[in-house]
Amino acid sequence: MDPMAAIKQTFFQECEEQLVELESGLLKMEDGDDDLETVNAVFRAVHSIKGGAGAFGFDELVEFVHVFETTLDLIRSSRLAATPAVTKTLLRASDILADLVRAAREGGSADATAVQVIADELNALLGGAPRGDEEDNTISVESLDFEPVTISLDSIFDVGEEEAPATQDFIVRFKPSAGLYAKANETLRLLRELGRLGETSVECDIGEIPLLTELDPEGAYLCWTIRLTTSVSEQQVREIFEFVEWDCELSVETADVGKLLEELQESLEPREAPAERAAVAITIAEPAEKSVAVAPEPQSGPATSEDHPAAGKAEAAKGEGSGAVQATIRVDLDRVDRLINLVGELVINQAMLSQRVSEAGLSRASSVVIGLDELEQLTRDIQDSVMAIRAQPVKPVFQRMSRTVREVASMTGKSVRLVMDGEATEVDKTVIERLTDPLTHMIRNAVDHGIEKAEDRVAAGKPEEGLLRLSATHRSGRIVIEVADDGAGINRARVRQIAISKGLIPAEANLTDDEVDNLIFLPGFSTASSVSNISGRGVGMDVVKRAIQALGGRISISSVPGRGSTFSMSLPLTLAVLDGMVVTVGGQTLVIPLTAIIETLQPKKESVHELGSGARVIATRNTFTPLIDVGAVLLYRDEPIDPTSQVALLVESESGAKCALLVDAIQGQRQVVIKSLETNYGHVHGIAAATILGDGRVALILDVDAIVARPRADMIVAELPAAAE
Amino acid sequence: MVTVRLPEILDIRAASPLATELLHARGNPLTIDASNVARVGAQCIQVLLSAHATWTTDGMPLSVVHPSDALLEALETLGVPFTKISEQESTK
Repeated sequence: MDPMAAIKQTFFQECEEQLVELESGLLKMEDGDDDLETVNAVFRAVHSIKGGAGAFGFDELVEFVHVFETTLDLIRSSRLAATPAVTKTLLRASDILADLVRAAREGGSADATAVQVIADELNALLGGAPRGDEEDNTISVESLDFEPVTISLDSIFDVGEEEAPATQDFIVRFKPSAGLYAKANETLRLLRELGRLGETSVECDIGEIPLLTELDPEGAYLCWTIRLTTSVSEQQVREIFEFVEWDCELSVETADVGKLLEELQESLEPREAPAERAAVAITIAEPAEKSVAVAPEPQSGPATSEDHPAAGKAEAAKGEGSGAVQATIRVDLDRVDRLINLVGELVINQAMLSQRVSEAGLSRASSVVIGLDELEQLTRDIQDSVMAIRAQPVKPVFQRMSRTVREVASMTGKSVRLVMDGEATEVDKTVIERLTDPLTHMIRNAVDHGIEKAEDRVAAGKPEEGLLRLSATHRSGRIVIEVADDGAGINRARVRQIAISKGLIPAEANLTDDEVDNLIFLPGFSTASSVSNISGRGVGMDVVKRAIQALGGRISISSVPGRGSTFSMSLPLTLAVLDGMVVTVGGQTLVIPLTAIIETLQPKKESVHELGSGARVIATRNTFTPLIDVGAVLLYRDEPIDPTSQVALLVESESGAKCALLVDAIQGQRQVVIKSLETNYGHVHGIAAATILGDGRVALILDVDAIVARPRADMIVAELPAAAE
Repeated sequence: MVTVRLPEILDIRAASPLATELLHARGNPLTIDASNVARVGAQCIQVLLSAHATWTTDGMPLSVVHPSDALLEALETLGVPFTKISEQESTK
């Protein structure tokens, strides 16, 4: 990747983080948190985005951020009160900001009218507040200029700094990239300017200079450590590097912190010469608004960002303010995935070893077997830990939902409050990414259809403001996400009527409440009598359901008339491993996901019934369940097989449909590593993925839904009366 | 013995030609006449540093003679000792 693109990518990653900070701060303010620190956190987030956006020349973005920032500045300086109306506007402004950032990233453009509307609202707020002289309430061309350092935050973070001692020692570490020179900037000039601030002693690290044959004359090999004794603030020191911020690695520390850091570095890397290395990787988390070090090429090495306690008020400045400072490290996703893959291989290898040992017929008490058990435990632990690296809190997704709620509520003229629970619950990154769309749709639906209009709510004796609860919890190795509204609940009579009119169920079908509720998941079902702007985007609940199922999850609904509905989704924590039942079918080894299996049975002759054209059902506990010969479906054999010689696995597909699968024999239960068939080969109907077993053979993982769905399509009408008996 | 005379302006555009010129002189004892230098940037200093390292590796002598004030000032500002670009002390 070229360095510029890499820096841009970093910028957008940081934007994402800042947007999350921004929104959580604003939500806190909305809840009545008037702590100055919250306002500051919000301000900082917007300010950082502005800084980067200015450097990259995203004018549209800068223009908007400028107004936004000015408004926040007024609140910060108590010249504008953060009334509910104001925070509402700010929240919507943060939505627009997110749009603009996305537009900047994808090279498109945001909805100009929407931007203008909010910008006007913000300007109106500016106009209504007593203004300081320096404020400018119109967006003039001059005000668009990128001026990241004109607003000094020093006084907020350190009141004592105003009467700070006359001089202070700074250690400035500076490593320009080739891009800095290419843009006609010159280290020499920067160092001269630095020299003007006070007394400097400059040390140049020439250790990276190659021989002439290897030298790129326009490359950048030097880095500098400058000790500066000055009376100016850190901010002013940084200002010198303002225009080269993106083209260098820069750290500015007060000397004592610098020393601490060197000690830390020394303890971390005893073999390295600390003075030469220190400038490269470690930076101190800033109490101020800026990111300290900008690595031009993130791939060149893992950058460690240490939040050092000595950095003072940094903890308090962090959004949550929840005490302990956590050190984090930004790692390329590819590296993590590679590690996960390798651990997958380790698991397989370990399984192979176990198999060899058991084939060798060693006693269970032998030390080899015991050692192997320990190894297995260890492997599992490693696997869990590695999976935990990919795990991310659902918070960002949840927060996006608060925007959806705001938008839909304002479109439908309803008043809805979103309460979130368990945002810190973690789940695999892939799951999170693919959760946004279905969740957005469910939230839209809940606000649009679930929650009643204000007057209807009042008439029903409920508070005018609707309540939407979004929660996440871990439950037995899965994550359960619930969307609950306190609306009218599902109108079952109407659902039933629609289902009949659309031919989804026979008119005389006798369905339980649950079954009626679940009808809304059927393809082609939509309760809104007219296609509304919000829910009717050609997506029904069936799409939501399919998306959830594609993630290996299931969705269910419970509804109480007049009290509201709850959709709950249960999803696997990871998509990389699976607990499965290993079975034999027609001489082949298959894996059936354990989550789908309800029970196993031995079919008896009298319980199996022929049904017309070769289809069979099995009677279990007074219901008839379709009996499917897996071997026949997968074309392992074409002769019908005698069910009594087989084992039946009663499975339930994600849609709740039950089926009995006939297999030759059950081998056992095992955790398997999922290997995608699509990536390596192609899609095969009835097969979800593949895995490698202990003996090194490839086994296919059955796609229970696909197997169950096919014959059921012919049978659904036949089954309903049986269930009604 | 080869002598290379440095141009007046040693900015980023001068870096490549300078590197090429010095590289041509490789294998010979080298004298760099720096009396004309009026302006110099960090990248040309890099080239000089690299040249010095190269000649040292080759076991060949390299000296920078008659350094101009501009060059000496630049070296000082950048914190690069003169002995890192020349085997002899400044003979100005």
